[in-house]
Amino acid sequence: MFNKKRSIDDLLTEWRFDEELKQNILHWHTLEARAAKYASFPEELHPSIKKALEARGIKQLYTHQRQAFDYAINGNSFTAVTPTASGKSLCYHLPVLQKILEDKSSRAIYLFPTKALAQDQKSDINELIEEMGEEILSYTYDGDTAPAIRQKIRKAGHIVMTNPDMLHSGILPHHTKWVSLFENLKYIVIDELHTYKGVFGSHVSHVIRRLKRICAFYGSDPIFICTSATIKNPKELAEKLTNTHHQLIADSGAPVGKKTFLFYNPPIVHPTFGVRRSSVLEVRDLATRLYEAGIQSIVFAKSRVRVEMLVTYLKSLTKNKIQDESIRGYRGGYLPTERRKIEKGLRDGTIQIVVSTNALELGVDIGQLQACIMTGYPGNIASAWQQAGRAGRRQDSALIIYVANSTALDQYVVNHPTYLLGSSPEEALVNPENILILMDHLKCAAFELPFSITDTYGEFEVQELLEFLQDEGVLVKTSATWYWMNERFPAHEISLRSAAQENVVIIDQTIPAGTKVIGEMDTYSAMTLLHEEAIYLHQGTQFQVEILDWEEKKAYVREVDVDYFTDANLAVELKILNEDKSDVYNSATVSYGDISILAIPTIFKKIRFQTHENIGSGKIHIPPLEMHTNATWMSFNLPENWSEEMLTDALTGAAYAVGSFIPLYIQCDRSDLSVVPQVKSTHNDKPTLFIYDSYPGGIGLAERVYDIIGPILKETIGHVRNCPCKDGCPSCIGAQDSLNESKEKVIKVLSILLNEIG
Amino acid sequence: MSYENKMLQLKQKLGKKKEQPKETPSFRKPEKPFYLKDWESAGLTVMENELGVLFKREVTYPLDYQHGSYRLGLLYDAIGKWGNTAFEHPYAMDFDESIVFFDTETTGLKGVGTNIFLLGLLEALEDRFVLTQYVLADPANEAAFLFESKFWQHARTVVTYNGKSFDWPQLETRWTLNQHVLPKLRSQKQIDLLHSSKRIWKNNLERMKLTKVEEEKLGFSRQGDIPGFLAPIIYMDAIKSGNADALMKVLYHNEWDLLSLVTLYIHSTNLLLEHELDESATTYTNIGKWYGDLKHAQQSEQVLTSVTTNFDDDNTGLAHYYLALQQKRDGSYNEAAESFEKALLFIGKREKLKALEQLAIVYEHRFKNYEKALNYTKQGLNLTKSNQFMKKEQTDKLYDKWLKRLTRIEMKLIRR
Repeated sequence: MFNKKRSIDDLLTEWRFDEELKQNILHWHTLEARAAKYASFPEELHPSIKKALEARGIKQLYTHQRQAFDYAINGNSFTAVTPTASGKSLCYHLPVLQKILEDKSSRAIYLFPTKALAQDQKSDINELIEEMGEEILSYTYDGDTAPAIRQKIRKAGHIVMTNPDMLHSGILPHHTKWVSLFENLKYIVIDELHTYKGVFGSHVSHVIRRLKRICAFYGSDPIFICTSATIKNPKELAEKLTNTHHQLIADSGAPVGKKTFLFYNPPIVHPTFGVRRSSVLEVRDLATRLYEAGIQSIVFAKSRVRVEMLVTYLKSLTKNKIQDESIRGYRGGYLPTERRKIEKGLRDGTIQIVVSTNALELGVDIGQLQACIMTGYPGNIASAWQQAGRAGRRQDSALIIYVANSTALDQYVVNHPTYLLGSSPEEALVNPENILILMDHLKCAAFELPFSITDTYGEFEVQELLEFLQDEGVLVKTSATWYWMNERFPAHEISLRSAAQENVVIIDQTIPAGTKVIGEMDTYSAMTLLHEEAIYLHQGTQFQVEILDWEEKKAYVREVDVDYFTDANLAVELKILNEDKSDVYNSATVSYGDISILAIPTIFKKIRFQTHENIGSGKIHIPPLEMHTNATWMSFNLPENWSEEMLTDALTGAAYAVGSFIPLYIQCDRSDLSVVPQVKSTHNDKPTLFIYDSYPGGIGLAERVYDIIGPILKETIGHVRNCPCKDGCPSCIGAQDSLNESKEKVIKVLSILLNEIG
Repeated sequence: MSYENKMLQLKQKLGKKKEQPKETPSFRKPEKPFYLKDWESAGLTVMENELGVLFKREVTYPLDYQHGSYRLGLLYDAIGKWGNTAFEHPYAMDFDESIVFFDTETTGLKGVGTNIFLLGLLEALEDRFVLTQYVLADPANEAAFLFESKFWQHARTVVTYNGKSFDWPQLETRWTLNQHVLPKLRSQKQIDLLHSSKRIWKNNLERMKLTKVEEEKLGFSRQGDIPGFLAPIIYMDAIKSGNADALMKVLYHNEWDLLSLVTLYIHSTNLLLEHELDESATTYTNIGKWYGDLKHAQQSEQVLTSVTTNFDDDNTGLAHYYLALQQKRDGSYNEAAESFEKALLFIGKREKLKALEQLAIVYEHRFKNYEKALNYTKQGLNLTKSNQFMKKEQTDKLYDKWLKRLTRIEMKLIRR
């Protein structure tokens, strides 16, 4: 029985008769294979490219690849929506290579969201170039690039593969060293477009506006080629990101293999409170089954902590084997060399199970995996499909198991398979108008090229903002132009990745003489993950944070071996700064505007592995973090005969439920938006629910919520009502301490609001 | 009001662009700044060309002008000395070259947003030295300012302090930004005296700041100098306020830098070509090593031997060590072994480890003296084990290598 290799189809047949498993699998869904749609090579396709494609056994293109070629050659910017393994890279390689072959002075920039992806695509295109037998130079340019070859890349690289951060701080502020690139730039390729959302996407939209400004200075006008996973608004996102009109290619011609989806819900262990068994433990058991069947699998978990917990559990499968590396973790925060090693192990099969955060969602080439387990809903449909696409590349049978957490959204998805399999995906939003982000990049832009008194920036009129920068002492105005006149280098003060601009470095001091940096983390996450006494997990090894130097942003950790992990809480104070929009109803108001938030870390709990019981707690000593952001808030009148206490419970439950459902409509993480109740709001003394963007300046999420608050309330009420629990559970209104008709009260509160504004 | 609150107010003013882009206008001469008169009264001269206005300051020095320990005219003696050498050297100049000492002052450290606001050129003419300092009138008049430097016009030898990685690339950046109106910048022969100073005074001078070198080596100390890091703020203040009094101090600072470059060149040439032994053993050992790296074996051995014969043992460890490497390269193994052995007691652990390795190799493979080879190997093994300067992986690898050598030599001893 053990270690007997089986195929996916064998395994599924076996599981159909497994009573223990069967009762937890709510839905069993098969997507049949789909045949390819082909188009012939374009007539003008250069013979060398044709030769190289034929050498790879490609005799015709998929329809979407041909359409991409035609758009590009005719000078149209376009966005192609491409599922995993659909040959998307040819959508940009072909027009780019064609152009370079026609005119050797031509240049292209490829932008990838991470260094790893750029590395990957470099080997891909270099293979293609080699098969073509042409002299075309393509390089990655990032923090790892050796200084010795940087000069050559700047002067002679036909294709420069980089990431937005490098473009922002390493290329644009030094554009005079890249004259031949900017003078001859024909194409800008943006891969994984859907990842450019939220704060990061808003920053990148400005990096691209700066890039276009510099191109214009050197007289080039490049075409944009974007590729994206399935989202609701690819064209709109591309147009907002690049400030350029786009064509859309929505229909993929690539074939798809048979995929079996299992919707798995952990069993209820406490019926009254609706408590289910931990999804992590269920995933551990399912992954063990796959491991023993010899099926190469990827397990996705949403947080770094979960990844590390699962690696710890699963490694016990191999603890009797020496030097066994067949189970590994993979996530952001690992150092590049470690990541490269894991990627290679997956390709050559020495690693059988990898547990990953969404870092492996993107197109890093890890070859063919057979099965994929999602520990919880990844937060949006695009991510779910990308994770699912990791299994069964190249038309093989694939197994995807979705294991639900007990959160409301997870429970909704496991009970409504059509939501994942059939419905329209969410929107991805960027907000170039975020004034804080805009000002940051306006400084960078002014540093890179002076603004004349008639200049605009992207789609913005910025003369008054430039005047402000003059008052701040960074610009000087002559008769016709604003010049940067300051010692600072603005790009270094602005990080694209986080709203909080600094990262905390994690230093291992287990060996006093051999202290080393093992990772880093953004400030906001560090408040709850790197406080003193926190258990930080890295590659399954536990470290305890001994000293957190908040001023210097350094966390000193030491390796420990304990049987618990830590979980921290944040308290939040907020006040309204400015009301931009408002709808007034009989007894309720819905408003949108700017608010100020004060995040105060409070306490952390120590929670035992396996049983997940609370075994201790402590205070967190980190100063509060203040931020200004956008919010939508709803106020209403206190229902008659309700005590304040009743209202507190009801509002807390309502906030929980509403917060859970927003990601159904807008592509964002549950943590990108926060919902906070106030029983007696400081601005009007009425019960109020605040929904705000979790990033300074806001990223447009709360504003969108303002527009679609009706449907959100309606969906939330329906779900709370249909939840099988008796009186509230983590799947609807959050865990309840006691039974007092909380569920009815939540529905009542939400219904009051819906009736008013509906 | 906090920054963020100000932002929120500004947000109300953020407009969206209405019309489509206009065509870029051809070059229009920028307007003159309002402070031409003020800057003139501070001691600057206004210049005007087709591209705009700029300021200038000019000073002439006779050849016997004394700056610290040297007269400027000794530059020509130094050039003469280079003419008498039989070998090539990157710092050699000859009488046909048009020589200019060059130093800039800037508004920042890097990137396109950093302006050069002062171009200082000290030209060596047959009968005098002429300092010309060009000052950027304001950023709008940059093209006029760059044009006057004449770097597009003649071929010159440009002598700088850190110019190869700072001043010249900055100039190229500014030039590129004004490429629409400027003639193409010529590439010029460059001599960077920061590089040579580092070669000559490594382990002798703690910091290679030019003012330090002046004080320690060139017999010059500045009175009333402003620190270089204030220069950006002073310039920015001058163009905002129109007051150039403080700016003049930046010009004097730049002037001293340039004069010191001349005497630094003279002094370095003397050190390199005449081995008077006025300086420390360390300095001459550095010079010997530099010649070695330039593949001038004869000069290298000559300098190093003069160190080993003229200084005490505890100052000549490194000289013996470099000499040994040179001798080994020449195939003089006996001499090499002797030099390495002399070096052992007086060199740092890094070099000592290499010396032990060389000794172990030469005794094992050349002289077949396995006892001695074994002895050096054991020393090497111990030193590797206790070292603090290598990373753990590196140490492990090296330790392995020593261990293999030890086993091999012991086998050879047994077989004998």
